[in-house]
Amino acid sequence: MSNQRKKYSKRERREHFTAYAFIIPDFAGLLVFVILPIVYALYISFFKWDLVSDKIFIGLDNYIRMFQDKNWWTALLRTLKLTLVYVPGLFCFSLLAAVLVSRIKTKAASFIKTSFLMPFAITSVIASTLWMFLYNEKRGYLNALLNAVGIPDQPFIGSESQAMVSVIIVLLWINIGYNMILFLSAIKDIPSSYQEAATIDGANGWEVFRYITFPLIKQTSIFILITTTIASFQVLDLIMVMTKGGPAKATGVGALYIYDRSFNMMELGYGSALSVFMFVVLLVFSFIQLKLTKEE
Amino acid sequence: MKNHKISAICLVLIGLLFLFPIYILFMTSFKSVNEIFVVSLWPQKATLGSLQDALKPDFIRSVKNSLFVSVTVTVVAMILHAMCGYAVARMKFPGKTAIFTMIISTLMIPTTTILVPLFMVCKAIGITNSYSGLIIPAFFNAYGIFLFHQFYLDFPGELEEAAEVEGCSRLKMFFQIVLPLSKPMIVPLTIAFFLGTWNNYLWPLIVNKKAEYYTVQVYLANLVSGYGTPWNILIASAALAAVPVFILFLCMQRQLVDGIKATGIK
Repeated sequence: MSNQRKKYSKRERREHFTAYAFIIPDFAGLLVFVILPIVYALYISFFKWDLVSDKIFIGLDNYIRMFQDKNWWTALLRTLKLTLVYVPGLFCFSLLAAVLVSRIKTKAASFIKTSFLMPFAITSVIASTLWMFLYNEKRGYLNALLNAVGIPDQPFIGSESQAMVSVIIVLLWINIGYNMILFLSAIKDIPSSYQEAATIDGANGWEVFRYITFPLIKQTSIFILITTTIASFQVLDLIMVMTKGGPAKATGVGALYIYDRSFNMMELGYGSALSVFMFVVLLVFSFIQLKLTKEE
Repeated sequence: MKNHKISAICLVLIGLLFLFPIYILFMTSFKSVNEIFVVSLWPQKATLGSLQDALKPDFIRSVKNSLFVSVTVTVVAMILHAMCGYAVARMKFPGKTAIFTMIISTLMIPTTTILVPLFMVCKAIGITNSYSGLIIPAFFNAYGIFLFHQFYLDFPGELEEAAEVEGCSRLKMFFQIVLPLSKPMIVPLTIAFFLGTWNNYLWPLIVNKKAEYYTVQVYLANLVSGYGTPWNILIASAALAAVPVFILFLCMQRQLVDGIKATGIK
């Protein structure tokens, strides 16, 4: 080591020192507040702990319990349901909107972009309370709208069958604009001569999209698909405000189950085990994304 | 061309549909408690009553808390991430690759999965139920470092050489020359960090149980309570809390869009 150190001149060493000084505050913070929690969760997951009394080491019991916990798997199934509706819905709608907007050359395009992106600026708590107001069964705006076209009152978040879809609608409302902008910027990067050439060759709008636009925005598509899938596993604030997991646990997703176990039941050991499991699942998604995008 | 016109009209209509809930939010805040559940596109008797009722001391305190937390987080995070990103991008030192790889790998840690352990860590350090607990963990975000890193990779090296010839130290160079020239990255990231912190609900809810440190999101969510929800006050408070964010959004929309395009960050 000492030999290697001598290789550096005084000036270089000063440079190293400055560089470390620039990095250390941020790096130490990441260690303590991002990396340490994951390690700590793994450690606590081998204990039974309610935050107040002493930790009791119980080995793998929390993980065994997790595999036998029917409520946990039902909650994860609800997460999966949310993902399977939300992700394709978001993907298709924002892609379609982006493709159509990219072809509009008038001022309307900027109005459309602003109005689609506006809900993104609203916070999830405000969005939740606002939509609870709109969803109100007897005196809400949505039922008034439905009544106007001859559809009877719907219970929305008040019913087991409609609650999840109602939550997903709010999620779409918030996030479509953001993803549309991502698609739009990918589409704008395609040289317009490609599309012009195809149009001259007699390709119609669909063919241009199918054979030119879509293949060329593959990277963005993968990015959006994976990041939204990961995000959909983490939907929690909206549900906590709007439905609290109800009615009859219809919106009790996995993330909410972890939250409940940890902070309401004070089972921090078990909650940590569930967090670790969720972390591993989402890590797999991240690796798939990394692999798919590196192949290009 | 005709097809384009039809799709433009359709999209404008859908755009209006997207704006409709926001319109309802602001319009309803001018309705009185008696009228709140009357479905209408305009208040029959517009009043400031609900908005005045919303301006309770607790609400004002929560807005102040949110402002304080968001501004502090944003300012400190910008400086920390710019310094770190700059050092990794432009300076030579042993262990660079290892450090950068470790920083980037934290991007794979989803925030929701570390809520429980992060709370335990903060509890162990003793920063729960305080401003520190609300603020400090929010600084650290590898996205910020990563984006500054990418930005500084393309930074003109002549400036640094000139500064070095003048005998300028790295620290002085960074704060007097590099940072002022980093505006194209600082602006979108400032918006993103401010919005992100202002909008955060889960972390402030978990880390703090004291009413004096409630952020505005926690305050609003607490107003929702089963059958007893005071809807006119809730809607008016939500509208008031949305105003600063919408002003920021409308003023900085171009930068926000550029930011999303350049970074893909939330």
